[in-house]
Amino acid sequence: MPETQDNKAKSPMLARYRFYLRQRPALLVVLSILAIVFFLAVTGLARSYYDRREFLGNRWSARGFADLKAQNYDAAVTDFRSALLYARDDYSYQLNLAQALIGLNRTGEASAYLLNLWDREPDNGLVNLELARIARQQGRTDQAIRYYHGAVYAAWQRGQENRRRDARLELIDLLLENKDQGDAQSELIALAANANDEPALQKKIGGLFSRAGDYERALAAYRTALKTNQHDAASMAGAGHAAFQLQRYALAQHYLKSAVAADSTDSQSAQLLQTTESVLRMDPFRPQISSVDRTKAVKDAFATAGQRLASCPLPDKGTPGPAGTAPSLNDEWNSLKPRITTAGLSRNPDLADTAMNLVFRIERQTSMVCGMPTGTDLALLLIAKLHEGS
Amino acid sequence: MDLQSNPETEVIVENGGQHAATAWIHEHSPRELWRLAFREDRLFLILSVFIGIFSGMAVVCFRFAIDWSRLYLLGTGAVLAPARMLLAPSLAGLIIAFLVIHFFPTTRGSGVNQTKAALYIFNGNIPIRTAIGKFITSALAIGAGHSLGPEDPSLQIGACLASLLGRKMRLSRDRMRLIAPVGAAAGLAAAFNAPISAVLFVIEEVIGRWSAGILGSVVLSAISSVVVMRWFLGSESLFRIPTVELKNPTELIAYAVLGAVGGLASVVFAAGITTLRPKCKQLPLWTQYLQPAIAGLLIGVIAMLGAPQVMGAGYEYIDQAMHGQFTWQFLAILAGAKIIATLLSFVSGTPGGMFAPTLFIGAMLGASVGGVQHVFFPHLTGSAGTYALVGMGVLFAGFLRAPMTSVFMVLEVSGNYSIIVPVIVANTFAYVISRALQPIAIFDLLTRQDGLELPSMEELREEDVLRVEDAMQPLDGPVLDSEKTLDQALLQLDGTGPEEVLVRMNPSGWNTANKKDLQTLANEGKGGSKLGSLLPIRQVPFLHPDHPLEIALRYVDRWPVVPVVSRADFRQLEGIVSQRAVLERYREFGEG
Repeated sequence: MPETQDNKAKSPMLARYRFYLRQRPALLVVLSILAIVFFLAVTGLARSYYDRREFLGNRWSARGFADLKAQNYDAAVTDFRSALLYARDDYSYQLNLAQALIGLNRTGEASAYLLNLWDREPDNGLVNLELARIARQQGRTDQAIRYYHGAVYAAWQRGQENRRRDARLELIDLLLENKDQGDAQSELIALAANANDEPALQKKIGGLFSRAGDYERALAAYRTALKTNQHDAASMAGAGHAAFQLQRYALAQHYLKSAVAADSTDSQSAQLLQTTESVLRMDPFRPQISSVDRTKAVKDAFATAGQRLASCPLPDKGTPGPAGTAPSLNDEWNSLKPRITTAGLSRNPDLADTAMNLVFRIERQTSMVCGMPTGTDLALLLIAKLHEGS
Repeated sequence: MDLQSNPETEVIVENGGQHAATAWIHEHSPRELWRLAFREDRLFLILSVFIGIFSGMAVVCFRFAIDWSRLYLLGTGAVLAPARMLLAPSLAGLIIAFLVIHFFPTTRGSGVNQTKAALYIFNGNIPIRTAIGKFITSALAIGAGHSLGPEDPSLQIGACLASLLGRKMRLSRDRMRLIAPVGAAAGLAAAFNAPISAVLFVIEEVIGRWSAGILGSVVLSAISSVVVMRWFLGSESLFRIPTVELKNPTELIAYAVLGAVGGLASVVFAAGITTLRPKCKQLPLWTQYLQPAIAGLLIGVIAMLGAPQVMGAGYEYIDQAMHGQFTWQFLAILAGAKIIATLLSFVSGTPGGMFAPTLFIGAMLGASVGGVQHVFFPHLTGSAGTYALVGMGVLFAGFLRAPMTSVFMVLEVSGNYSIIVPVIVANTFAYVISRALQPIAIFDLLTRQDGLELPSMEELREEDVLRVEDAMQPLDGPVLDSEKTLDQALLQLDGTGPEEVLVRMNPSGWNTANKKDLQTLANEGKGGSKLGSLLPIRQVPFLHPDHPLEIALRYVDRWPVVPVVSRADFRQLEGIVSQRAVLERYREFGEG
């Protein structure tokens, strides 16, 4: 009974509550409270959701970094793709995925990622460098040069100077490959100006200067490299080569000799040394030469030229001139031959000049007709070049 | 509050100014102001915001649920384990079938159609169990790899929540009917992160008409749901949009080709669904337990054969296709495989939506067609991403047959208006081809298969409208001038023509006069009076030739002849309409 009475007492109160709760303004208040409660609940849910995603993203990316480091590119691609499921726009994941794809030679896919990254950060050095490499690989030289420039002037996260320098070295290599010597030289000068004396770098610079045809700077770079590492065979060979190109044969001989002594397997330097020594030995105009040696050198040179003429016959036609047709080189050589004797050369010192002049012309003509000579003929040709205009 | 029927107001009118102050005080009393503030139309707007907030939160939770089920069922990596590919969708299919048959039978079918049914049949009522069922079963299905999308379930969850709130608020029947579309817009906007497209889709496909009242509510709910969704999930779009530009107008030909291919693909896709769905439904009841599982198993097989991208909604792969990470051959394979996978999932009765698969197929097809065109015409500048974007719109227009939404969806998703011309060109081709080859839209076909007769929005849009000019007839007889005398008017009538004649009033307006009445007045000796002064003061309504004919029905029963006048000069008579002529025209129209 008491319970029933209690219920009866409560029922009007409940009815009143219900009445108020059914009023629209009250319902709106209830809705607002519910919205706040649900909002807080969803916030908690969202936090847990994002924490889980972050955890998964980190886990996959850690695997990816390890695989990339181990050059396990296939697995790295899968790992970074998985990581990107949880952080679609993560710059580092995308960049590493692109690098893994490059490792697999899937440059098309890689460049799609890299171009996106480039759109987001055009100043990123690594993105520019990778894009440049892909463009170079695909033969798009102009774009490659543009991206290399981007990489040279871009911001790098670590080791900015070294990364910029490496990018510039690649750019120079591309320019040289495309026979753009002028631009390559400009880039090289800028590179050399900022380069330290590290032998490896100087050696590389020297090599690039050599490829660009700037042998003076190449020789300087090799010499800088040799200051720190005096016994580096490659630097000595490079210096010897540069000196040879500069027609500084005595210096070339010095470096090449050292190079061959340091590395006996360097056949190129050995061959160059042989030519250098031939030049030095066969040159009758070299300073401080005795008259006997000079006579011998002229006679040897004349004989060598004769052999060259015999092995590479020139057209039997003289050069037409105002006084009629000039005699052919063969005729000239034949007519001069009886006079080229020790006695004849001693009697007439000018005969040596005449003989050597003919030798030089023969070597030049035959090199044009039959290609570059070797051995003593090459040495004579180089001597001809050395005394051109003198 | 109707003042005319309020006894207090009547007293005020009787007693004059003494009570005016009392009336003002009453009208501005806190109670009245309170009531005014919570008038139903205003409450409906406030409620729309709440619908948007709740729908937005529900869609966020739905997205979490899909992701979580994916993580636990398919694994956390981008490369799926073969065993999971086969087992996850199959086992999930068994559970889904059990849940749907025993607990949530209403979760089958399209959410768009169920929202329309709520609007046109069930007075806005959708049981909340539908939302719960859709949430659980769709999250499980999509997370397990069934080829379905989250948009349609989101739309339905929004509609269910709106219906629940409307019921609790005890809205009137008219408002209740409209509340489901308001919720649907909120759900779709949050799922797509595209409020404009959601509003347009609901107007275009569910409500079918524009009116200021409903538009305001739909917009409010869509915006509030998107705000809530962005609060939790961020504002980034579903895909990373590549740079889009149209450099050469001749490239529009390429987009037209894409439209044509997309139109044909839409027809194949729709025909597959409409053919297979009834056949699956006709199979014995026990097979219903197995159908989603078998569909899941076959999708797993497709995935194992080299196209795991077809599993789930596939937004991440749309993103990859947009950024040129697939070859055109593989893109074409993916488009075909996705059509098959979606057919399997949908016709087996697995709950989930077709929006995401449609976008997936469109994107793959678009990027593939773009790739082929680049092979043959290397000078074309459109990127794979541009073609994929346009392709998404193409399938939306061709398959879902929502042409307006398809255009705005692409614009809203891409945020780039320079793509508008290619989108319009391609979508028009797709829509026209799809319309020609499959006259009934997919939503209408599904409705009819479910035994419901809901209005087809496409048919409504393209329905021939009868206008006043269709029933208009030339006036048989003279038009009298109100400035002339009665005798002059009678002379003009000359005893011929119909009994009822039109009178042009001065300075404006029209009236009618009966010949017999005029004769009687003349006999009473009023022949010298001006006709206008003799006629009763009344205005005969007039119409314009372009008015819908149904407007004429409002007048022709009261006025034997209704003048039809020019819009440029209301005194210039174009013709007349009569009740007989109107009914005759409707009869002819009904007979086809």
